[in-house]
Parts: sequence; structure tokens; C-alpha cells
Amino acid sequence: MEPITANDLTLYPISECAITVEFGNTIDEGLMSRISRFNRALSQNPFPGMYDTVPAYTTLTVFFDAVQVIRQNDLNGNSCFEKVSGYLENLKEDDDSAPSSESEIISIPVCYGGKFGPDLQYVAEYHNLTVDEVIGLHTDAIYKVYMIGFIPGFAYMGGLNDLLETPRKDTPQKVLAGAVGIAGKQTGIYPLETPGGWQVIGQTPLKLFDVHRQPPALLKAGDRIKFDAISSKEFKKYQSKNKVAPLVGRG
Amino acid sequence: MKITIKKPGLLTTIQDLGRMGYFSQAVPVSGAMDVLSAQIANKALGNDEDCALIEFTQSGAAFITESEGLMAFSGDGAYLNTDSQRLPSDRPIFIPAGTNLYLENNKSGSRSYLAVAGGWDVPEVLGSRSTYLTAKIGGFEGRCLAENDKLSNTGELTHLTQSILDSLKGETINYPNWSIARNLFLPGNQKIIRVMPGREFNWFDAASKTAFLTQPYTIGNNSNRMGYHLQGMALNRAIDGELLSTAVTPGTIQVTNDGCLILLMADCQTTGGYPRIAQVAAVDMPLCAQLKPADTINFKEISWKEAERLYLQFKFDMHKLSLAVEQKYGVG
Repeated sequence: MEPITANDLTLYPISECAITVEFGNTIDEGLMSRISRFNRALSQNPFPGMYDTVPAYTTLTVFFDAVQVIRQNDLNGNSCFEKVSGYLENLKEDDDSAPSSESEIISIPVCYGGKFGPDLQYVAEYHNLTVDEVIGLHTDAIYKVYMIGFIPGFAYMGGLNDLLETPRKDTPQKVLAGAVGIAGKQTGIYPLETPGGWQVIGQTPLKLFDVHRQPPALLKAGDRIKFDAISSKEFKKYQSKNKVAPLVGRG
Repeated sequence: MKITIKKPGLLTTIQDLGRMGYFSQAVPVSGAMDVLSAQIANKALGNDEDCALIEFTQSGAAFITESEGLMAFSGDGAYLNTDSQRLPSDRPIFIPAGTNLYLENNKSGSRSYLAVAGGWDVPEVLGSRSTYLTAKIGGFEGRCLAENDKLSNTGELTHLTQSILDSLKGETINYPNWSIARNLFLPGNQKIIRVMPGREFNWFDAASKTAFLTQPYTIGNNSNRMGYHLQGMALNRAIDGELLSTAVTPGTIQVTNDGCLILLMADCQTTGGYPRIAQVAAVDMPLCAQLKPADTINFKEISWKEAERLYLQFKFDMHKLSLAVEQKYGVG
């Protein structure tokens, strides 16, 4: 099963139950929109046995139940790989750029600096900026969610002002849930308390991942977001308003 | 059936066959590391295959039965003992109330599974009862089992499970003379792990590719449910370049920037940015689940086509196994 290349797409297996469709090899907004459209077309027309897709920077990975797929006589081929690849190659991509999904900008309140953003001062000094200038530059931009990965609900976002580009820390440190960080050209929000290497400049009181919500992740690949600076008083108000049970099931 | 944990052991969690459908939200699949032993324990009881089990890591755990019931034990991480006898694995066992049970060291593996008639009763979170410790979700309150935790079975017994229970129920420990021959589903040499070339296989130079497929690799101390560090010859790149993060899955073997290997396991991230030299055949993941630090393995290349054939055969064999147990009890 050599990788298949068809219509400028490359398809290859990553396991017995998953095939990756590769659309290119650089970070490119146009490419990511195409992956979103392909993903949308596929979720509207899933093949029997398909149960999940994972969009990333240049790829869309499709997960399926191999036993169900191999029984599909409507899908051509002698293996699951051939059957699913054939289906994906022939999928009619959604040409409509769907402007409605582009219009909505999700607002994320962030309390910058202090205990909420322990690395804000470092980032400011690194760039010879004032703390307020960093906050200004970070809240001015519109960001795009490139990918959800790393830990549940973690959004990798592009669109960071070049003036704020800051390298990761050498050693990961404990990061709180809601921490807003910068790493290289990207910005992101930690949904859970975890060790992390991004420069943390602020914290949002919003729950980025909550199993009592459907879908549990607040953000998804393709979303556009904006950060709004809030005071520590407003942060606490949000927290008391959003009191949600801890991340465990009923009972 | 109800039990109380007396000693939790190294890492004891509730797992099932995993959490599907939330990979796009970066929720890992989790689930039993050794899906073969887990399925055999459930099938020995006539349980549905997605019933929740306890996954033990090596020995050390102990518990007492507060009420009678039907259990099955499978895996190579430990032996299941009472105060007076070692209990056989891979078959149903009726255990009366007030029995003390403990796990004794078994050097041959790492993980064992305890299934109960109807499955352990914990709530489903995002469609699964598997524990995912990083996000504190699933299983028993999203955490490892601890001293004095009490666990019960669901009481949702299949007809088959009820028939097995009726045939063994009594005043004392009782089990049938049959068991599921787990070794029939495993290759003869359990230290050879079959792999298929990963997407970035050719990013490595010829000597490194040869070394990967011929030299031994040792499981590092820093190995857990998320992944194993493999110690051995470091691999050199023939092609420089950054991989943009893309989907990975349990069984993926990544190579870090200093040439070290990481084998991703059940709780691994859904995406990764290290080049992928290979993917372990799904049918050999149960072998990997039984590896422990200092164990040595060799990789052997097979084709993706062969891997898929082996996997479908395994699924078919597991289905046939259920039918065989049903036939024994005239149910189905």
C-alpha cells in the first residue's frame, strides 16, 4: 500500500483504521480553508463505518471501523485502504466558501499579567515593548484556529502580530487552566492545568473544555477569535457566573 | 457484586475499549492498553465487549469482595490470589462475599484486567467509561483507584452471563474446567514487534533505517500509558525539515530531534509534530502493552496490506470466541 496521489491529494494509512489525506506541506490559510471544506463535505456525506476526522495544518485524518468498511460492497477495492481512499478521492469538495461560517468572531475575555500572566513582563522586555503595548497588540488581532491538539480542547491559533513572536521556554512549567500563551508565531489557550512551554501572558475565565457541554471543546479548527482585556475583578465575576462542576461524570 | 479496594497498587484505573469520536477535540482514545486480555476477560464472562474493567499495572493491589459474584482475570502483569490459592486466569470464577484477593508479582508482563459480570458500574463520559487522567475524566471520578474505594457491577447481565453465573454459584470459590487459550491469539516470539513504514520513514538515512529494523530497543523507565521511551541506536535524518503537526494514534513510533524513539500508547495525544518512522501493527499492540522498563524488543517490517489482513482476522477471531462461549452454555 504505497501512498496514493490523486487530484493533488496524497493519501496514506496511519493505522489499520485511519487514513490521512495530505493537501500540501506549508502553513497556508487557503489550504486550511480547503481542509475545512473537505471536512465539511465528508461529515455531510460520511461513508459507512467512518466515525471521526482530525483536521491539522496540512492534513485531514479520517478514522473508521475496519470491520464495517470491509463489508461495504458499494466501496470499490480489496482492502479498507483501497475502499476508503477511493471514496475520499471521489468526494465532491464543497466549493462554496460558506461566508456565514467566516463572519462570526468568538470573543475571549482575558485578564493579562500578574498571577494571570506570569510571563507578560518577560515578553514585553524581550521585544522592548511596554506591558500595555503587548496587551494592545495581542487584543488588536483577529486569530484563526488552525488545529485542536496536544490536550483536550487546546487551540493552536495563527494571526499573532510579528512584533510578539517569542520562543518557547526551554523547560515546561506548570500552567493553569485558561492560560493564554505565545509560542513562536502562534498563540493558544490551555484548557487544563498541565506542564506547558508557552509564554503565558494572561488567563481566560472561560472553560475551553467541558464534558458537560456538546461539543466539549469551546473552539474548533477554522474558528475566528478575538481577545478582550478584562480586569481581575471582571475575571472573578466571570468565574462565579460560570461555576461548572469539575471535569468528572455524574455519580 | 461489590468490592472494596484495600491497596490500590501502582496504577489501577477503570478502562473499556476506548473513547471514540472526540479525536477532533484532542480527546485521546484511552481504553485498555492490552485489548486482547481485556476482551478475553469480558468474553469469559459472556459480557458485552465494551463492559468496563479494572486495569492493574504490575502487582501490589489488594481488594475484598463485599458481596458474591462472577469475575474473570486476564493479562500478564500479576497473578490473582486468595489467602489460600492462586486463581486461574482467562475463565469465569464465582467468588463468595468476604474473600480477600491480592495481586502477586508475575515477571512475564505488565498489565492485568479484572472483569465482572455486567461490567464495573461507573458513568459514561463522552461515550466511554475509560479513565483519562490528564483531563481527570471517565472511570472512577476521573482518577486512579485508591484505598477504600467501593466498586459495584452494573447488574445488566446478558443471558449468557446469567447462565454462567447460575452454573457456578455456590458457597465457595468455583470455576469451570475450560479457559480461553489466550496464547492462541499471540505470536510465538513475543519480543518481535511487527511494524509498517511510517509516512516519514524515508526521512532517515539508510544506516538508521537498517538499525531500526535490526537492532534491539529497550523500554525506558520513563514509560507510561501515554507512551514508551525506547533506548537503542539513535537515528539520523537524511532529510532535514520540520513536520507540521498532524494526526497520530496509538502505535505510532515518533523520532525526536535527538534521534530517540517514542512509541505512542493508549493515552497519547491526537496530534504530533515529530517524524513518524513506523506504525506498530494493531495486532501487536497487546504485546507492547505487556512490556515493562528494561524489556528488549526487535522490530520487524510487514506491509500495510498484511497488517490490515491480520487486524481483520483478529476481529473475526474475537467474534468467533464470543460464539464459542455462547455455544458452551447453549445461549445465542
